[in-house]
Amino acid sequence: MDGVDATVRGSVRTSSAAPPSLLTIILDTNPLSWSHLSSSLPLSAVLKTLLIFVNAHLAINHANQVAVLASHVDNVAWLYPTPDDGDASKQSSQTNGHTEVADEHRVVSNKYRPFLTIEKNISKNLRNLLTSDIPSAEALKSPPLLAGALSIALAYANLQLLKADPMTSDSASTGTGAVGAADLDAHTSALRTARSGHQFVSRILIVSVSQADLSSQYIGLMNSVFAAQRLNIPLDVLRIGERTAFLQQASDATSGVYLTYDPPNSTANGTNGAATASFSSATAGLLQTLMQGYFSDVAARKLLVMPGSAEVDFRAACFCHGKIVDLGGVCSVCLSIFCLPLEFTSCPTCQSPLRVPKSVTTKPVAFARRKKKKRKIGDGGRDSAAGTPVPN
Amino acid sequence: MSLSSAVLDYLQAQPGVTFKRLYLQPPTVLAVLRRMLPHLAKNIIMAMLFMPEPFLEEDLLTWIRAEARPQRDEAMTVLEQLHILTLVPEPPTPRAYRLNTAFASSLRQALMGGGSTNSFGVPADKDAPGPKRTVEELDKWARKQWEAILYYMVGSAEREYSREGNISSGTRKLLEMGEFIIMRGGRADITKGGFTFLLQEANAQVWTLLIVYLENSESVSSIHTKSKVIENQSKDIEQLQMDPVEMLSFLFMLGSLELGQDYNTESLTKTQFHMLEDLHDFGIVYHPPDARGRFYPTRLATTLTSSDASLLSNPNSSLSMNSGKGSIILETNHRIYTYTSSPLQIAVLALFANLNSCYPNLVSGKLTKKSIQRAVEKGITADQIIDYLRTHAHPQMLKNQPVLPPTVVDQIRLWQIEGDRMEATPGFLLKQFVNANEYRETAQYAENLGVLVWRNDREHMFFVTRIEQLQQYLAKRKTQAPRR
Repeated sequence: MDGVDATVRGSVRTSSAAPPSLLTIILDTNPLSWSHLSSSLPLSAVLKTLLIFVNAHLAINHANQVAVLASHVDNVAWLYPTPDDGDASKQSSQTNGHTEVADEHRVVSNKYRPFLTIEKNISKNLRNLLTSDIPSAEALKSPPLLAGALSIALAYANLQLLKADPMTSDSASTGTGAVGAADLDAHTSALRTARSGHQFVSRILIVSVSQADLSSQYIGLMNSVFAAQRLNIPLDVLRIGERTAFLQQASDATSGVYLTYDPPNSTANGTNGAATASFSSATAGLLQTLMQGYFSDVAARKLLVMPGSAEVDFRAACFCHGKIVDLGGVCSVCLSIFCLPLEFTSCPTCQSPLRVPKSVTTKPVAFARRKKKKRKIGDGGRDSAAGTPVPN
Repeated sequence: MSLSSAVLDYLQAQPGVTFKRLYLQPPTVLAVLRRMLPHLAKNIIMAMLFMPEPFLEEDLLTWIRAEARPQRDEAMTVLEQLHILTLVPEPPTPRAYRLNTAFASSLRQALMGGGSTNSFGVPADKDAPGPKRTVEELDKWARKQWEAILYYMVGSAEREYSREGNISSGTRKLLEMGEFIIMRGGRADITKGGFTFLLQEANAQVWTLLIVYLENSESVSSIHTKSKVIENQSKDIEQLQMDPVEMLSFLFMLGSLELGQDYNTESLTKTQFHMLEDLHDFGIVYHPPDARGRFYPTRLATTLTSSDASLLSNPNSSLSMNSGKGSIILETNHRIYTYTSSPLQIAVLALFANLNSCYPNLVSGKLTKKSIQRAVEKGITADQIIDYLRTHAHPQMLKNQPVLPPTVVDQIRLWQIEGDRMEATPGFLLKQFVNANEYRETAQYAENLGVLVWRNDREHMFFVTRIEQLQQYLAKRKTQAPRR
């Protein structure tokens, strides 16, 4: 009887089924930037590609979800789910699509219904967005509202996470009952330790084209990045055009994918035929990039080697001139970054007064360092606080 | 994964030609992708789908992390078994993988739209005669039909529940063929397989039954001579002669249809139209008797290609029968409480629990040694009971880790083992072989078949659970022997 052992609890149900996953796409829809690209990679082609990508995401798992946001010139708009039925249950949106689509038998019978619904919604909403308000020339040059779009996307992802897992939402609702930072911690840890079987993963893909620099939104952007980091949401960035340091940092901090995609330039080829040929190759290249580089969700990323450049530009832009600095000053209150030597006595971002020792503002960097070393050897760094500003 | 593996097993047994035809239909490809592949395999397919060149094996290996080797092997095996990936043997170039062309083009078609295959169902005309059915009506219908089948099976175990639902003779025969029930003297007796079936989740039950349906359509049609007359005459499953590929495609198509929408039957093939009748009996589709030209898929159909996880995550979509939100609370003192008023769930519980009180929305009882051993005697295993309790656990229970109190789980197993001191295996003893060689080869063959239970090399005898194939094998040996 010693051999009898019934204590194989088998509580670890090997759920090889992948968790449902939410893909949120933030599409930069600045008309000016897209018009620059119109010859090589028009918005319509990118949209088509994104739709295939979205369909593929939905195809691999019945429970997968999708949300698409447009970060437009002066506002952020939902492309999918459509705001009106965004809050309503799935049923209502489906019946919506149902009455609408019933007229077009031919299309319906050849396309999977959920794909069709999404496609219609996105193209309708995008058309509304692009035709409704024509922004001023001044506004067009301003950077897209990426920080705002990210916040909305994160809020949506969090909401879906709570909806998907009633267990964590229970604990979360009790957590938010009593307000406090400790509850926030409890909430996030509940999210993290959510049972693996039901875990709901999400990721955010930012398709960025605008040339404008994002340093004006630096604080909002970084706050969103930290929130995403906490929620375990990777921020993937597909950059069309030249590199941006901030987005690369964002994706690096959240272990997302950052790739730049340069569409083959067709403007050089004069003839129309060549232009269309390279247009399709640009789209195909974009599609393949999406499918291989950005397709895997958090669960699959553990198994795959993700693309990405080895070196990340961690330098921050100074807030005063917007140029990238190797060594700068940091406001101790709001963590804004300024280039040296400092030119002001109060932080231009948060208005807190800065009293900076003369040594920082005037003396060369190399000299200051050497001084520090000497002091450390001397007497335990008595004046170690010399670099930080003291409120007046 | 039990349910998709059932489908997977069925598919893997199919010849390569079947796959070629199956993959011509976008819904099939979509369903295969969604239900039957490991997560990594899906990622591999998507990466390769729009790749102009074959994927070099070397690149594939670098793409997947070294520590994910078990998952990679699993993914590649499944992909090759389902004939989705093939190794391109090109001597000058390095080894590369290529997607099955039919699979790739169907998947591309599914993702991008287009084509004119009508593969996602043709909705019926809006102004067709006859009343429309609402989603609620369809749910009611599906539940009624499906529960009738389950009732029938439970009823065959517990007399008092019998004959509440009326199921067609075809369904009854199918249950018998699937060895869920055995007819003994005009009375149906539930088998071990039947209990396994009952304790599964609804979606898995549907698939299990459908696979029996598919398997039998095939085997039966190969036994009987093909005659169109019989096919039209009777809808008894025994006389079905249908193409399994068309049947499977139809099932996968049903999985991609929209609930609450009626579809035209005109685009269906003869086989598929014929299937409608049987699926109507199961509650998977609703084929209105007053409007034969159209049919409604029910929730059982539209969730065919979704996984169980989605049913859990979306409580609205789950059938409120015995799936969806769990309702069982099991305490460490072996008491069991179930928030249910469904006679079916109560009947299933009564199979292994001692129920003592019943309220309008709550049943309470106790797991006792007697009740568990009674169940074990009937052929229910402890693991089945534990699995059932776990999958139907109340949300409050799910907060615990592990979900069920370990003491109770261990106790259930111990109670089973207590009765298992002696294991009886019905089978056949083979002895008195002509020579050692014959003994060795036959025993080896039996072992390869997986039917060998015990062998004694000194006495030259062994014991097998099944003998049909061995008989053939021995007969073949005999005929071959003189020639040699």
